[in-house]
Amino acid sequence: MSVSVPGESSPQFLKVNINHRIGAVSLNVNFAQTAPWTVLFGPSGSGKTTVLRAIAGFVRPDAGSILRGGTVLVDHASGVFVPAHLRPVRSAGQAARLFPNMTVRSNAIYGSGLTSKPADAMETVEEVMRLFRLQNLLDRWPHELSGGEKQRVSVARAVVSAITYGQPGAALLLLDEPFSGLDYAMRDELVDSLKEYLVRWKTPVLSVTHDVGEAFQLGAEVIRIAEGEVVQQGPVIDVLGDERRRLMGQLRAQA
Amino acid sequence: MDFEALWLTLRLAVGTTAILLVVAVPLAWWIASGHGVKRALVQSIVALPLVLPPTVLGFYLLIAMGPLTAPGRLLIRMFGHPLAFSFGGLLVGSVLYSLPFAVQPLVAGFQAVDRGFIEAAAGLGARPAKVFSSVVLPMTRASLLTAAVLTFTHTVGEFGVVLMLGGNIPGETRTLSISLYDLVQDGNYGAANQTALVLIAFAMVTLLAIYLLPSMRKVDGRQADIVR
Repeated sequence: MSVSVPGESSPQFLKVNINHRIGAVSLNVNFAQTAPWTVLFGPSGSGKTTVLRAIAGFVRPDAGSILRGGTVLVDHASGVFVPAHLRPVRSAGQAARLFPNMTVRSNAIYGSGLTSKPADAMETVEEVMRLFRLQNLLDRWPHELSGGEKQRVSVARAVVSAITYGQPGAALLLLDEPFSGLDYAMRDELVDSLKEYLVRWKTPVLSVTHDVGEAFQLGAEVIRIAEGEVVQQGPVIDVLGDERRRLMGQLRAQA
Repeated sequence: MDFEALWLTLRLAVGTTAILLVVAVPLAWWIASGHGVKRALVQSIVALPLVLPPTVLGFYLLIAMGPLTAPGRLLIRMFGHPLAFSFGGLLVGSVLYSLPFAVQPLVAGFQAVDRGFIEAAAGLGARPAKVFSSVVLPMTRASLLTAAVLTFTHTVGEFGVVLMLGGNIPGETRTLSISLYDLVQDGNYGAANQTALVLIAFAMVTLLAIYLLPSMRKVDGRQADIVR
């Protein structure tokens, strides 16, 4: 499985082919990520968070393999399982686990790969914090923040870690419902600016959502998961067109 | 009041606490980070001193450190004298005897840390050692302090192991509890009362410190801020 086959136009960021049983859900997921921002879309309980956790290294799949670029992260057959912290992958979980013993600033630089040049690191951190509208909260403690603020710090922290990992684009960013818990105005603003920012850093993203509006705003490629299986993959308008029409119909009916 | 015994007791308690924290922290972290027969077995061995008469531990340590066994003979060759009936031997006995008092609060503290914080750190590329020192340890400060205080207090109150292993050598192995025993044997009830009161006051103050501790738990993972 080579990444840069001559003639192959789009790069392959990630290749997932895993089987995993967790509780009542039997995962049987097979997809390749070729778009820089790809969304895993599906109802809750469909297994999308588990897929993300398997890529991050927190779940050991029962069978199958996960490849990031040319690097094997998991291969059940040959017994390869790269530990989470050694994967070229950075993640923010569904719940914002801010380290309670550190300020927002210290949380933000926790996973930064730029510790050798503190000035550069701080500049990057401050840039990301401005992007997330957190620049005035840098010296606060996690317990002084609102739920939405914590969520933003959590995602910002993962962004800092991803963009400072080696060369731009070296790390894949995994975000589990990154914009949930934010009010719509904040979310709309953030989605656009974050998307633009990560394109600048060439950082690919695989995010999880069950929000149709978010998927459309991201204009992302969508991988639709239902009952533990990939049922469709493609541009958002193709995969979620029916949902969009249904939502618009509902809105018209209300008017 | 035997001040030499008081000084010896404090030295023994400080030494035991220092050694035990170094030993117990990694041991407790290993026990807390998984399940299985191996961990259950180690946890049982660690807890043994809680249920065994101290004389059992004292007896086997006496044998192990004495000239009757190969390890004992090796120790005698290394130190030039038997480890039994010396401060060093007493230290070894105290470390083993107080092991559960150090390990158990730490295991409970480590197990209470939300795995989400550990995953969050690993998801940001932190090595396990960094996760432990920068995330887990600060969240379990209260457990560390509890382990230290319990170990210290328990060592001060130790009697059986000391008697079996150390005998009663002034300045070397005669601790406060042994001194109290001696005083009663001699019928010196006044001095015995003084010694007993010092031991009670000491235990009371340290226990009070532990129960006042929850104020420290503000930085504990159990009450840390979690969205949702």
